[in-house]
Amino acid sequence: MSSTGTAKNNFAWLGVVAVLFGVLLLASHSTELLKQIVLSPGSSADMNIAAQCREDELEEEQLSLQECQLMVSNVQIVLASSPEWFRSFQISLSSIGIAAALFSLVAAYSLASTVGGKGSMALLSFGMLLLLDVAGFIAAVNTGPLLRAQYLWPLLLWFFIHLCMLIAVIIAKNNTNAAEV
Amino acid sequence: MQKNSRNSSADQEDETQAMPRIIVLMHWLLATTVFFLFASSWWMLSLPLPSEDFTYRELPFQLHKNIGISLFLIAVLMVSVRMVTTLGQASVAQSWMQRLVFLEHLLIYFLLLVCCLSGYISSSYSGWQTTLWWLIEIPAWTAENDELNIVFSDIHMWTCWALLVVLILHIAAALYHAFNNDGMIEKMFRPN
Repeated sequence: MSSTGTAKNNFAWLGVVAVLFGVLLLASHSTELLKQIVLSPGSSADMNIAAQCREDELEEEQLSLQECQLMVSNVQIVLASSPEWFRSFQISLSSIGIAAALFSLVAAYSLASTVGGKGSMALLSFGMLLLLDVAGFIAAVNTGPLLRAQYLWPLLLWFFIHLCMLIAVIIAKNNTNAAEV
Repeated sequence: MQKNSRNSSADQEDETQAMPRIIVLMHWLLATTVFFLFASSWWMLSLPLPSEDFTYRELPFQLHKNIGISLFLIAVLMVSVRMVTTLGQASVAQSWMQRLVFLEHLLIYFLLLVCCLSGYISSSYSGWQTTLWWLIEIPAWTAENDELNIVFSDIHMWTCWALLVVLILHIAAALYHAFNNDGMIEKMFRPN
């Protein structure tokens, strides 16, 4: 295979990998948005209302009484440890994240399908996703230890995934440019 | 992209034929919604059990049901389109690999449909009303029945786990073809 062909091939497999991560990222940001919408301050768990655990429901969900009670505590952890700015910040960040994940799918699709593509859209997309990961990471660092424990590690994983993808696109792009000269 | 020399046989030429645009579109729509349903359902099942005071599950469950019903309809449409478009190729002699791929796709569709259907039936037996996208009220066709709710809930859960396993194999195969550069993957990225 020629060097141009190899460079195009790099783009093709990068595109497929990017589509896979794009789909997973979209699910991740959508779930986060749903989470922030549902867990609103001033709701029942925030008012310290005791958990209501009916026997039949426990059996149906195969839960112990303690697990049922801890489900309320789980919500209380999120609400009590979120600074005032955190919910609105997360709603904005995950909304932008959904748009960025959709854009990354388009960029990945163009990487996988373009003959001799330049990968500029993918560069922009992964750069944007990296910035979002950094913004989410900084926000989580500025919350308490309970939220940091939930957010920091997955954010770090996403950061490195997007960093790898960005570097790979830069190299594939350079290889294509070099092959075309 | 120029086809790899490994794709010289007639069988492989057949395999690498581009998919119809509508199939590709539905494939990616299913992929994104299925993974959202997995991620969101793992989270929503950790929410407090529903009661008069605790209504945290209301929105996520309604959304889950709405997406699930839509997914079912898309999957039925996709199967129908695929049946129509591949009917002419059914008589072509197939290699064992092609038969395996066919079986894998069949299993994905089967699990997807059973998963959606069992979820809806379970929800119907639970006594919770379903309003499709908060617009169309689906009439209750059965009375509340805890035992049947648990049976269908179990079917829903196990078919979803099975679906995840088959999807992982499906993705592994897709990555294998992508890294191998054998032209197979292109049909999902360069539709007709």
